Amino acid sequence: MSELAPSAAAPVARLIDAFHRLPGVGPKSAQRLTYHLIRMPRDEAEELASAIIGVKDRIVFCDTCMNISESVECAICRDLTRDRTRICIVEEPLDVLAVERARAFRGMYHVLHGVISPVNGIGPDDLKLKELLVRLADGTVTEVIIATNPNLEGEATAMYIQRLLSHLGVKVTALARGLPSGADLEYADDSTLAHAMESRAEVQSSNGTGGSGGGASPGLAN
Amino acid sequence: MVSSRPHTYSVEAVVVRASDFGEADRLVTLLTPFRGLVRAVARGARKPKSRLGGNVDLLRHIKASLAEGRSLHSVSQAESLTSLRGLHSGLEKMSTGLYMAEVAERFSVEGGPNPALFNQFVQMLQVLDEEPVNPLMARWFDMHVLRINGFLPAISDCVDCGSALEPKDHVFSPARGGLVCPECRATENDVLLPASMNTIKLLRHMARSRWDAVRPVDAGEEELRQAGRILREHMQFVLDRHVRSSAFMDEVTRWRPAGANSPSP
Ligand SMILES: [Zn+2]
Ligand SMILES: [Zn+2]
Repeated sequence: MSELAPSAAAPVARLIDAFHRLPGVGPKSAQRLTYHLIRMPRDEAEELASAIIGVKDRIVFCDTCMNISESVECAICRDLTRDRTRICIVEEPLDVLAVERARAFRGMYHVLHGVISPVNGIGPDDLKLKELLVRLADGTVTEVIIATNPNLEGEATAMYIQRLLSHLGVKVTALARGLPSGADLEYADDSTLAHAMESRAEVQSSNGTGGSGGGASPGLAN
Repeated sequence: MVSSRPHTYSVEAVVVRASDFGEADRLVTLLTPFRGLVRAVARGARKPKSRLGGNVDLLRHIKASLAEGRSLHSVSQAESLTSLRGLHSGLEKMSTGLYMAEVAERFSVEGGPNPALFNQFVQMLQVLDEEPVNPLMARWFDMHVLRINGFLPAISDCVDCGSALEPKDHVFSPARGGLVCPECRATENDVLLPASMNTIKLLRHMARSRWDAVRPVDAGEEELRQAGRILREHMQFVLDRHVRSSAFMDEVTRWRPAGANSPSP
């Protein structure tokens, strides 16, 4: 792929290629990073390599919420003081940190590890939705708060989840629109995010005939 | 080779692809009438205070100012041309809009002007924005994107021998690009799709009509399914690839809300 690859030695080309596969790294950056590493002292390079292996060896997904964790149950899921009747659904682990920072939510989380992106071939089956349904099965959870990013794919994902859960009798809300569209949760300032959490509203997933909004669903907990 | 000041220019565009890029940027693909596809980075677009953010999201119809860069152009400004908020009112609309965006993108190239395709795409997004979802929208769009690009399926006469087709059920060959008469059917060992008389009528009507004349058509499920399959496989043959977003569109448009049609008939 990269312009230098044919003339560069095979190990160099291999590293350029590995960097190029990372999110947000284009061919030019991949080359820059590679040549930076070539000049790096050996002990620094070893430290970087062992940090990467350390993450792969010791960080797992929490069995329950799918957040990254050092054990099969993450610190949030272990915390008995948290509200187990509410689950906040986010796209990525970094979004958990953002919502935690805003200190407006004391419930549980569920990390989807992505967002529905039809053009990129990412559909509902590629998200951690089956794991979410398992968590909702016993009726403990009464409200699901969808905190996907305020862009079209985030909205589509929110509506999809609303539909998926519509027959379960769980209240499905989404963060209020105080978040400007196009923005990332990760970069929202704490007060905006806290406000969006407080003024969350129920999600509608279809236009026109709509109106159902879960009204007919049996066994609504409150 | 490198000029001292970046050249800037402004385009009308629809965002057909967008992904996260770098720290807080978005990498977008714009479909434009006279420059085809333009890839550009919208710097800082994911930051809540960005003035670009909302306007460089998928399916936005915008006027964008672009600055030429060494490898990538960048979006310096973006203002909304048509609001298209109605597209966000439901999954059917969003998924159909995304499907059309992918089809329009697949038939476009960087630097290749195609104003007819662009105008039809914007027109259909506006229809989708304003009207209730209709399964014929995507099919009519397929048909006319094919027509604009010179790939209209042969549906009036036999694609092989040119003989007139009797008004009855026939078959469609994606490899040959059209309907085949009974005599030509067995000349090649290719995949043949069923095309009932009503399906053929529907295809012909869509091919020669404006959307206004197709909207009121009440197509049966069988015709919709056959016409959808014919257009999809014909398009796949032309593009030599699958349109990925059709799966999600098909899933959500076929979905019967679990609560809505439960026990009582
Ligand atoms: Zn957990
Ligand atoms: Zn023939």
